[in-house]
This record gives sequence, structure tokens and C-alpha cells, in this order.
Amino acid sequence: MTERLSDNTGGSKTHMDFSFVLAHSVHDMKNSLGMLLTTLADMMDKYPPQDDIQAKFFSTLEYEAARINSELVQLLALYRMDEQKLVFEIDEHHVLDIIEEQVARNDTLFKARQLSIEVDCPADLTWYFDNEMLGGVLNNILVNCARYSHKRLLVTAGIDNGFMRIAIADDGEGYPEFMLHDFSRSGNVSFSSGSTKLGLLFAQKAMEMHRARGREGYMILANQGPLGGGQLSLYLP
Amino acid sequence: MSVVEYHKMHALVVDDFENFRSTLYKMLGDIGIGNVDSASTGEEALRYAKARAYDLILCDHNLGKGKTGQQVLEELRTEKSPSSDSLFILVTAENSKSIIMAAYDYEPDAYLTKPITTKALEQRLARLFDQRDVLKPIAQAQANENWGEATRLCRAQIAEGARYVNQCQKILGQLYLNTNQLAEAEQLFRSVLDSRELEWAQLGMARTKILQGDYLNALQWLEAVLQNNPLCMKAYDLQAEVYRAQGATQALQDVLVQATDLSPLSILRQQALGEVAQQNNDLVVAVGALRRAVKVGEHSVFDKPEVHSQFAQSAVDLFAVDKELAKPIVREALKTVTEMEQKFGKKSDQKTNALFLESQLLVCSGDEKKAQEVFDRAQASLGDLRGEAGLTAEIEMIRALRTLGQLDEAEKQLQLLSAKYADQQAALERLDVLQDEPQSEKNKQLVAEINKKGIAAYNAKNYSAAAEAFGAALQSLPNHIGLRLNYIQAASDDLKQNFNQKLSDRVLGSMTKTGKIISPQHPQYRRYRQLQENLNSLQKDKTSGVKL
Repeated sequence: MTERLSDNTGGSKTHMDFSFVLAHSVHDMKNSLGMLLTTLADMMDKYPPQDDIQAKFFSTLEYEAARINSELVQLLALYRMDEQKLVFEIDEHHVLDIIEEQVARNDTLFKARQLSIEVDCPADLTWYFDNEMLGGVLNNILVNCARYSHKRLLVTAGIDNGFMRIAIADDGEGYPEFMLHDFSRSGNVSFSSGSTKLGLLFAQKAMEMHRARGREGYMILANQGPLGGGQLSLYLP
Repeated sequence: MSVVEYHKMHALVVDDFENFRSTLYKMLGDIGIGNVDSASTGEEALRYAKARAYDLILCDHNLGKGKTGQQVLEELRTEKSPSSDSLFILVTAENSKSIIMAAYDYEPDAYLTKPITTKALEQRLARLFDQRDVLKPIAQAQANENWGEATRLCRAQIAEGARYVNQCQKILGQLYLNTNQLAEAEQLFRSVLDSRELEWAQLGMARTKILQGDYLNALQWLEAVLQNNPLCMKAYDLQAEVYRAQGATQALQDVLVQATDLSPLSILRQQALGEVAQQNNDLVVAVGALRRAVKVGEHSVFDKPEVHSQFAQSAVDLFAVDKELAKPIVREALKTVTEMEQKFGKKSDQKTNALFLESQLLVCSGDEKKAQEVFDRAQASLGDLRGEAGLTAEIEMIRALRTLGQLDEAEKQLQLLSAKYADQQAALERLDVLQDEPQSEKNKQLVAEINKKGIAAYNAKNYSAAAEAFGAALQSLPNHIGLRLNYIQAASDDLKQNFNQKLSDRVLGSMTKTGKIISPQHPQYRRYRQLQENLNSLQKDKTSGVKL
């Protein structure tokens, strides 16, 4: 952290900025969790599960750890956004690259849950976004969908009315009514329902940071998607 | 995509956790990379990387003690070694760009966020190696300084609409700037900006404008970038470049303050801030920045002895104006100078200089006896020095004599030096920082011009412009009594009209410093006392006014 010369006033009480303390502590937790995840992967590698029950335990351990991890990442990112300390740089990228990258990142999770995932995106589609931020958003959505879908996931991407749209559809039960309301095009995020839905808040904020020619990004939740379950669409100008 | 020949590759894995090293080792093995070495510290990694060429270096940023991953990268890229051009991936625990805020030329080829899975790693590597492969002819042409060929190849890729158009545009822009084809550069950046407001192209425009000498326009482009992204360190670096070229030292200091607030670990920016603040006689800022530069320099390839000396010097200077504030700094500076020999080796020119500084710091901490001993040791070794290093140490000797309170001896030695370097203008210019009246032609002229300009402004009652002019000249001639008193007089009149605390503090500091260097026999001594009284009564009015 930045050190400063003492300003010679002395005696002033240490000011505690809770969000700062929290952010530091989250950072530490994140490091520990990284170790935990690595150790877990090592353990699964050295002592492969002997039966289905063990396999299920391992998969739960991994899934919950991964979820805490992505939650912490978003908490930190939101803190940095709030403090205006999140580096944000829009550049031109291949859309398929970022989708495949996030799918690969969750490879073990999909395998453990026996989910098949299909990606439908033109190989030469390029668009403008912050790679790291959109990657985080997609990762979180995929982890979340893995929990609620039965067998299949479908990720599609293409141009829609001057926006680039990435849609993630599942074959689960769909999003609950209050979430559809909170994350509709017109509705503001209210979080009145009591559920924080940190991931969705992060996604929403990340979309809004993408602006071009007076338009900004947004997201829409809907049900009865192409796989019969929910569908989350990200729109980037 | 081309087929990547992993089995022929050599990779280096760097992480302080054994656990993570072995995980990556195994992942790389699964991908097919046959030869993997691993290192647990940055220092060890550099030993490996300097001994043989690696195709790939995967390096964690946080390596516990010693160098960070970023510092490993910086050292690799600055010093020629078999692995200078290795593909370098920096591994971090969270959003990496926000933590590292790297300086200009020292960005890794890619960032990777933990946790890493084999499949994600494999995909990333395939893309990076494919890109490297496709762009290899361009890199080759650049390495051979065959700019024409590199340009042609980039254009061909762009015309083809190939996969790496974006990268080729960036390289091409850089090529145009490097070869001073500014019209072509501007056209390229503008055509990119026509379809989208992209930061790299805006920065490209700013750099084009700088090279065209159009600083105003360059600053406007940079302002636009920062409006969108206040964390764009490249924009601050370019602003600094503009202000440096314009000689706008106060603006330069301000922008570096902003940049170092955002990236406190960037040693290059701390060094630059320390230097310019010292030039601006802003001791508090200078001391702070130089102190941090010394600290973050501990494991950095950019650390250099001059910065340690500057820190010690600024501590002595600060002590002269504010003893309380300087106390802890003096202790730290003393430690810094005594460790210099151990840190930078036994080069004797540094050693003598460091001893003179140590002697002054000992005076500041009240140990006059030891100060004199150290001074004598330094003086004894002075005879062995020649050239620049000799002059640097000689200047430090005069300062030390003054700090020790031996003003007559200081004066005598200074006159000897003036005589010794009588026919070397460059040396005289450097000596002028110590002189009451400049000896070099250049600085004599500077004083004449500034006095004319400043006095004209003063007579027109434009006190702030007058103070600014005198203040600027003090940067190169801090010991010039006449300039100093002119500055104080103009600034005091400015304060009378519109008081502000910052300026007031600066003038008071200048007054204190003047008190240190003026002797009661000086022809302007009475004027000095008069100005001092003025300033004191001005302060009193203000403080009593505030209390009411």
C-alpha cells in the first residue's frame, strides 16, 4: 500500500474504512482458496474416487469451492469498480475465444455434473469489450447454470440490432419470477427480494461499463429459452 | 491454426508454492511439453532464464520474499539474455491488470488468473503460440531492423483481413512512429478510431502529436483517454513526456503525483517524481517519492545508486527547513547510505559520495563528532576520483562542509573548484547549484534574463508571474541569494493580495533555507531581515484572522 510521510498532526484516531478492510480480507481469503482448490485437484488426481459416492463428494467440494472463488472475485471486482480502481480497457477480440476459454475453465465442473455444452458462434466474429471483465461475467454465469440445468447448456453469439449478443440457455426450471423482474430491460436492480445475487449485479455493472456512441450494454433474463429452461442474454454495443 | 510442436519446447514454471509448481508441471506434461524446469523464487528463475532459452515462462506474480513476477519480467526484458523474448505469462490470484499497473514497455504476453485448469491452459497456449507463429516474420524483420519489410508484412496481413489484424495494426502504428512516418501513423490511428473509440489508437494519436511537436493536441487526446479510463497509466506516462519536453516542471510533478498514487509500486514513476520534486524545491514530495523509490527498488533491475544518494540529499535538505518532519527520514536515509556499498558493490566513486552524505546525516542526527570523522575519511579518498564522479563527490563535499557549519572552509574549497574547472563550462554549470553568483556563462545569462522578466512583471504588479519566474530560476541556482530574495518579495506581495496556504508554506520554507545560507556580512542581509519581518507579520495576520 501507499505509504505517506506523517503529516505531523499525530494523535488522530485510526480511521477504519470497512469496505477497505473487507477488500483486504477478501484478497487473503482468495489466496487461501486458490491453495485449497489446487490441493483439491491434486488430491483427486492422486487418490481418484473409488465409487460413485466418493465421486459425488469430490464434485460437491469442487463446485462449492469454485463458487466461493467466483463470488470473491466478483466482490473484489465490485469493490474496485466502486473505488474506480478497476482497470478497464476495451479492445477488439474474437468472441469465440472468450467463450471457449470460459467453457474450458469449467471443464471439470461440467464433467462432474455430466453436462454437455454446445457453443454456436462464428469463428471470425470479433467485437469490442474488456476481455478480463467479460470473461469473469461468463464464468460466473456458466458456474451458476451448471447448478440449475439438467443435462445441457447452449451458448450462442451473434450480432443483434447493432449489438453483439451472447446468450446462455439451459434446460433447467427457469429463473424465478422476481429475478425476471429485477433484470428485465426496464426494471432497475432493486434486490428487494433479499437475495443479493452478487453475480448478476456484477454482470449488470460490467455490461453498463461498456459504452459506445451513446449506447450502453445490458442484460436480459428470460424463460422458455431454446432448451426449455432459462436464458440469459448479454448485449454489448 | 498451425500445429504447435510442444514436445520440442522448454518451459519454466515459477511459483513459491511447491504444490502449485508440481500442478503446473503436470499440466504442461499433459499438454505435451517435454521439458519443464521449475523455480521457487524470482532470483532462481532469472538464473535459469539467463542460462538457456525458454519458449515459455509461466510466472506467479506474488512470489513471497524477493522479486515479484513483474520484476522478473522487467529484468528479462531489459537485460539481453537467451530468454529476453520468451513468451511470458504472468499468473495472479485476481484481476491482474488492476494490481500490476505496469509501466509502458513491461507488459507480459498474457495474464492468467488462478485457478488454472489443464484445458484452459492448453487453449490459451495454443492461441498464443499460433499468434507468435503467424507474426514471426514480422518480429524477425523488426529484430533485423528491416523496417520496410516489417511494414510490408503488416500491411499484407491487414489487407488480407487475417486473424491477427488487430495486433498487426498495433505493430504497424508502432513501426510508423519509430520510423517517423507520422502522416501514415495518423492515418492508421484515425481509420481505427473511425469505427471505434479504442484506447490504443487514441494513445497512438497522442504519441503522433507529441512527435509532431503539437503538445496541445497531444494533451487533448490524453485527456480524452483519461476521462474514459482514469487508470490508464500509459496516458499519465505520455502526459509526463509532454510536460518534460515543455519544461513545465510543476505540471510534470502534478501528473507524476497522480500516477504514483495509482501505482505506488512503480519504481520508474517514483524515481521521476523524486527527481522533479527536488528540482522544484518541493522537499516533502521529493523525500516521500525518493524514499518509496529506494524501498520498491529493493528487488528491481531499475534501482540505481543515484536514487539512494538523492534520497539522502533530500533528507538533509528537509532537515534544514523542518527538523521534526525530517527526524524519522534522517534515520532511514542514514541506513540507506551506509548500505549502499553492500548493495551496489565497492565502486569507490559511489563510496566517497556516500560518505559525504553520511557525514551530513550524522550532523542532522546530532552526532557532530562522528560526522567529522566520516567527513575526513571521505576527503581522504577524494583524490582517487576523476571526471564526473569526482565532480559529484566534490559538490557533495561542499554541501557537507556547510552542513558541518564550516562555512569559510566551504567557501575556500568552492573557490578552488571554480578555479580548477575554470575552462569547463559544463562543470561550472554543475557547480552553480552551490554558488551565490553563477560562474558559468549559461547561468549568468539565465539570471540576467530572469531578473529582467521577473522585475518587469513585478513592476506591472503581476506578482504571481514575477514569483513564478524567479522560482523557476531557483531550480538551477538554489543558492543564488539575489534570486531567492526576489522570489520571496514577489511571492509575499502575491500572498498579500490573495493568500493561499500552499504558497505561504513554500515561501516560508524558502525563507528558512535563505537563513541557512546567508551570512550577516552579505550585502543583501538587511533586505533579508526586512522581508523576513514582512512575511512574519503577514502570517500572524492570517492565523489570527482564522482563529477569530
